[in-house]
Amino acid sequence: MSRVWKSIAFAAGLALSATTVAAQAPQKGGILNSTLWPEPPGIVIGVNLNAPTLLPATKMFEGLMTYDFNLAPVPVLAESWEIAPDGLTYTFKLRRNVKWHDGKPFTAEDVVFSFNEFMPQVHSRSRPTFERVKTTAVDAHTVRLELKEPYAPLIRSFDTLSAPIMPAHLYKGTDFRANPINQTPVGTGPFKFKEWKKGEYVHLVRNDSYWQAGKPYLDAIYYRFIPDSASRALALETGQVQLAAQTDIEFVDVARLGKIPGLVVTTKGWEWNSTISWIELNNRRKPFDDPRFRRAILHALDREFIRTNIFFGLAKVATGPLHSSSPFYDPNVPAYPFDPAKASALLDEMGLKPDGGGVRARVKLLGLPYGELWSRLSEYIRQALGKVGVQVTLESSDVAGWGSRFANWDYDMTTTFLSMLADPALGVSRTYLTSNIRKGVLFTNTSGYSNPEVDALFAKAAGSTDEGERKRLYSQIQKIVAGAAPIAWLVEIQWPTIHSAKLRDAIINGFGPNDSFADAWLAK
Amino acid sequence: MSFWQSFLRNRGAVAGLAVLAAVLLLALSAPFLFSFDPWDTRGAPLQPPGEGFALGSDMLGRDVLAGIFHGARVSLFIGVVSTVFAVVIGVVVGAVAGYFGGLVDDVAMRFTEFFQTIPSFVLAVLLVAILTPGLASIVIAISVVTWPPVARLARSEFLALRHRAFVEAAVLSGVSHIRIIFGEVLPNALTPIVIMASLMVATAILTESALSFLGLGDPNRISWGYMIGAARAVFRHAWWLSVFPGLAIFVTVLAINLVGEGLNDALNPHMRRRTDP
Amino acid sequence: MRILLFLGGWLVKAALILLAIVVLNFCLVRLAPGDVATVLAGESGAADADFLARTRAEFGLDRPLPAQLATYVGNVLSLDLGVSYRTRRPVADMVLERLPATLLLTGTAFLFALGVGPALGVLAAVKARRPADSLITVAALVFYAMPIFWVGLLFILFFSVTLGWLPPFGMRSLIPPSGELARAIDVARHLVLPAVTLGLFYVAIYARLTRGAMLETAGLDYVKTARAKGLPEWRVVTAHILRNAMLPIITFAGLQAGHLVGGAIVAETVFAWPGIGRLAFDALLQRDYNLLLAVFLASAVAVVLFNFVTDLLLRIADPRIGAAGG
Repeated sequence: MSRVWKSIAFAAGLALSATTVAAQAPQKGGILNSTLWPEPPGIVIGVNLNAPTLLPATKMFEGLMTYDFNLAPVPVLAESWEIAPDGLTYTFKLRRNVKWHDGKPFTAEDVVFSFNEFMPQVHSRSRPTFERVKTTAVDAHTVRLELKEPYAPLIRSFDTLSAPIMPAHLYKGTDFRANPINQTPVGTGPFKFKEWKKGEYVHLVRNDSYWQAGKPYLDAIYYRFIPDSASRALALETGQVQLAAQTDIEFVDVARLGKIPGLVVTTKGWEWNSTISWIELNNRRKPFDDPRFRRAILHALDREFIRTNIFFGLAKVATGPLHSSSPFYDPNVPAYPFDPAKASALLDEMGLKPDGGGVRARVKLLGLPYGELWSRLSEYIRQALGKVGVQVTLESSDVAGWGSRFANWDYDMTTTFLSMLADPALGVSRTYLTSNIRKGVLFTNTSGYSNPEVDALFAKAAGSTDEGERKRLYSQIQKIVAGAAPIAWLVEIQWPTIHSAKLRDAIINGFGPNDSFADAWLAK
Repeated sequence: MSFWQSFLRNRGAVAGLAVLAAVLLLALSAPFLFSFDPWDTRGAPLQPPGEGFALGSDMLGRDVLAGIFHGARVSLFIGVVSTVFAVVIGVVVGAVAGYFGGLVDDVAMRFTEFFQTIPSFVLAVLLVAILTPGLASIVIAISVVTWPPVARLARSEFLALRHRAFVEAAVLSGVSHIRIIFGEVLPNALTPIVIMASLMVATAILTESALSFLGLGDPNRISWGYMIGAARAVFRHAWWLSVFPGLAIFVTVLAINLVGEGLNDALNPHMRRRTDP
Repeated sequence: MRILLFLGGWLVKAALILLAIVVLNFCLVRLAPGDVATVLAGESGAADADFLARTRAEFGLDRPLPAQLATYVGNVLSLDLGVSYRTRRPVADMVLERLPATLLLTGTAFLFALGVGPALGVLAAVKARRPADSLITVAALVFYAMPIFWVGLLFILFFSVTLGWLPPFGMRSLIPPSGELARAIDVARHLVLPAVTLGLFYVAIYARLTRGAMLETAGLDYVKTARAKGLPEWRVVTAHILRNAMLPIITFAGLQAGHLVGGAIVAETVFAWPGIGRLAFDALLQRDYNLLLAVFLASAVAVVLFNFVTDLLLRIADPRIGAAGG
C-alpha cells in the first residue's frame, strides 16, 4: 500500500467513524457548494453530453431507474417492471404522484415521448439502444417497450444519464436543441433550476413538491465555476465548497487534501462510469499489426509505477477489456507483468534486432492533451519503451487536433481513456467490434482490430438475457482479446470524489456525484 | 580606443560574457557530464535538493540538474537560430525598402507595420499551436514575431547610406543591386543590427520559455520553460522544481543583456563619446 | 485642415490593417488540424458521423473555405462577430464580459509602470555613476531578465504560500464579502500580485529607457548652453532634458498601451485571472474559432487605436514630427 493510499484510507476511516457516530436521522436544510469545471455549454442531458453538463442535470432530471454500486437496478420513476421470458417485452409501472417542476403531472406520455422521439434524435450515446425499441403507453401510468430481438444491456439503460425522462408537454413538436426551455430546464428531480450566472455558478433550489416525501434535505446547490485547479483545492480547504469530483482536483493534490481533517476522499461512486485508460495501437500499421509487438509493449511498461507515480495511487492496474467493477469481469486472462527481458525476447523473435544505436523500431506517440498527468504518462511511455529498443517520438497537439487524428486513424499510438458504462455491450464492445470500425468517428473501433470469432461472441452476449450465459461468453471474449492485446490497457482510473465530512449520503450508488442527491444532507 | 579595449572596460559586459561562456559550457558538456537521458527516472520522485540529487528530483524521479544542463542546449539553440532567421527576414525587407525607396518602401513598410499590429506573443502562441509544437514551429513563430524592428532599423540605416558617394558610384558603374545591397551597404549598416540581434537572443529565450511554460514546447526536448510549466501543479510541494530552471533562464538572459549593452557601448560611437569624456 | 487629413488617412489605414488581420487570422486558424466538432465529440464521450455532420452544418463548417471567409468578413463588417461554437453565446458578449478584468489588470500594471519606471530612470540619470544609479540600473536589468511567469510563481510562493498575505489566484473570493467597499478591497487584494508581476517588467524598461534618453540629451549642445547660461540644475533637468527624453517614453507607452488587451496571457494563466488572455488561450485549445478571432480583433483594435493616440501625443510633444510627416 503506497503512502497516498494509506492517507486516503485513514481519512476515509475518520469519516466512517464520524458517520457511525452521527448515524441519526438526516438533518434538513443547508446549502451545498460544489465545484464544476469547465463551465458546461448547456445543462440538459442529450442536448449536451459533456461531463460538466451531467452534474447539475442529474439533480433536475430523473430516469426510470438508477443502479447501485454493483450496477443492480433500483427503481426511481418506475415503481416496478416486468420482463417477458422471451426478452422481447418490458413493461414498466410508473409512479403516480410525480409532478414536473412546472406543476404538470408526469405520465406515460412523457416516457413514450422521451424514448421514441427525444433520445433517438439528440442523445448520440443512447440512440443505438432506443432505436431498437418501440415504446407505447398501455395506460396513463404503464408503458411497454418492445424489441425485435433480445437486447441484454437494455435493462442497464434507464438511468438519468442514459435515458432522462423529458417533459413531453414542453418539447413535443419543437426543435429539441433550439427549444428555449433548455435555458431554464424543467424536470422531475429533487432540485429545480433557479439561475445560471454565466462565468460564476449554476444555482439549483429544493423542489418542495418532490415525489419522495420529506426529500430532498438540502435547501439549495450551487455549482461554482472555478477555472484553476489550485484555486479549487484551496476552496475545499477553506470550506468555501464542500464537494469536488473526478478531474476537478489534480491527482497529486488529492492525497494532500485527504490528510486535512474535515475532508473525505472516496473513490466509490464511479462504478457506472468505470473508466479504463489505455494506449491505443494502430493495428493497421507495422509493427503494430504483429501481436508479439503489442504484447512486448505491455511487458515493457511498469504499470505499477504508472499507478503510483503518475496517477498518484488513484488507479488500479487494468488486466483487459473489462473493468473490474463489471459483473462480467474475469481476472483469469493472459497477464502482462512488467518484464523488459520478455519484451526484448518477443521483439527478437519478431526479427526486430537492435541497430547500432540500440534501436529496434521507431514509432510515434500522440499524447492525450488533457493536462499535465497525461504529459507525464506520455513521457514515461517513451522512456520505458526506449529501454527495450522501441524509440518513441512524442507528438503533441491540442484537443481538436488529437480528436481529429485519432478518429481518422492518423496515429501510431495514442493515450486515451474511455468509460466502460453499465454493460459491456454498451461500453466495451464498441472498441473491438469489426462492424464498429468507422473512420472519422471517435470512440469507435479506432485500432482496427478485427476478429470474426470475437464479433460473434459479442453479438451472442448482447442478445442473450441469461446472465449466466452472458458471463461465460464475456469470459471467453476477455481471454481472446487480452491474448491478442489489440490495445495496451494501462490502468482503471479511480476518479476521486473529495467532500466535506459534513456532507453525508451523497455517494450512495454507482453514479456517485451524478446521483440526484435526494438523500444527501449536511450535518450542522 | 579599440573595440576590445572599450568592451573590456565594461565590468558588467565582461561578467556577462563569462556567464554566457559558462552556460555554453553547460550546454556542450551536458552529454558527457550527464550521459543518461534527462527524461529517465533516476530515483525516488519529488526528492528535495540534497544527497541523491543536487537540485532535487521531479514527479517522475528525474534529475533536475541534468534537466538544466540539457535544457541549456534547447534555450541557446532556439535563441540563436530564431534570431538569425528574424535578422535575415528583417534585413532583407528593410534593405529592399530603404534601398529602393518609393512604392517598394511603402509596401514593405505597410507589411512590417501590419505585423507589428498583431500582439506578438498571441501570434506566437497561435503559430506554434497551428504548426503543432516542436523545435521548428517555435523557431518559426519567434522569428515571425520578432523581425519587424530589425526591418525598421535596417531600413533607416539603408536610407541614410543610400545616397552616400560610394553607393552612388557603385550604382553608376553598373554594379547589380544585389551586390550593392549586400556587398557595399550592408557591411556599413551592420553594427547597429548586430547590437540589436544580441539583445534579441535574450528575448527569444524568454519567449521560448513562456511558450514551453504554457505547454507549447517541443515534447521531445527538455527545456527550462517546460520544467517550470510541468512543475506548476506541484509547485507548492516542491519549490525546487520551479526555482532552479527559472534561475537558469534569468541568469542566461541577464548575461546576454549585459553582453549586448557592452557591445552597444563599445561599438556605438555616439555612446562611446558619452562614456569617455 | 492638416488634422483632418491626418485623421482621414489614419482611419483608412486602420480599416485596411484590421481587414487584413481578419483575413489573416481566419486563414491561420483554419490551417490547424481538427475542428470544433471533434472537440465537442471528445467531450461528450460518444460521437457518430451524424453528430459530427450536424455540428459542422450548424456552424457552416461544411461549406467551402472562401464562402466561410466571405460570410465571416461580411458579418464582421456589420459588427456581428458570431456565436461561440462551444457555449453558443455571442462572442462579442463573451469578450466584453472578460475585457474589464483584463483592463483592470493591464491598466493597473501600466499605471504602476508609468508612475514608477520613469521616476526611477530620472533618479538614476541625475545620480549617474553613483550608488543610487547602480542600484536602479541593476534592479532594472534583473527584472527585465526574469520570465514573467517565474516572477509570478515566486511571488505566489513567497507572499501567498509562505507569508499568507495575499490571495494567490483569481480575481475575487469565491463567495465575495457583502458591501461595495469590502468587495472592492477583495478585488484589490487579488490584483496586487498579478499587477506587480506584470508591471515590474515594464518598470524595468521605462527606467532603462528614461535613463538612457536623459544621459543622451544631457550631452547635447543646447543643454550645455542652458547650463552655461546659469540656469538652476533642476530647471535644466525638467525643462530641457526631460522634455526631450519624453519622446521614447511616449513611444514605448503607446506600444505598451496597445498590449493592454492582448498582452497578459502568461500573467493571466499564472494567476488564474479571468481575463481575455486566458479566454484566448482556452479558445485556442478548444478550437473555438469565432471566439478566438474576436479576441484577436479586440486586441488588434487596441493596438491600432493606441498607435493613433501615440502619434497624436508625439506631435504635441515634438512639433518637428508633424512638420516632417505631414
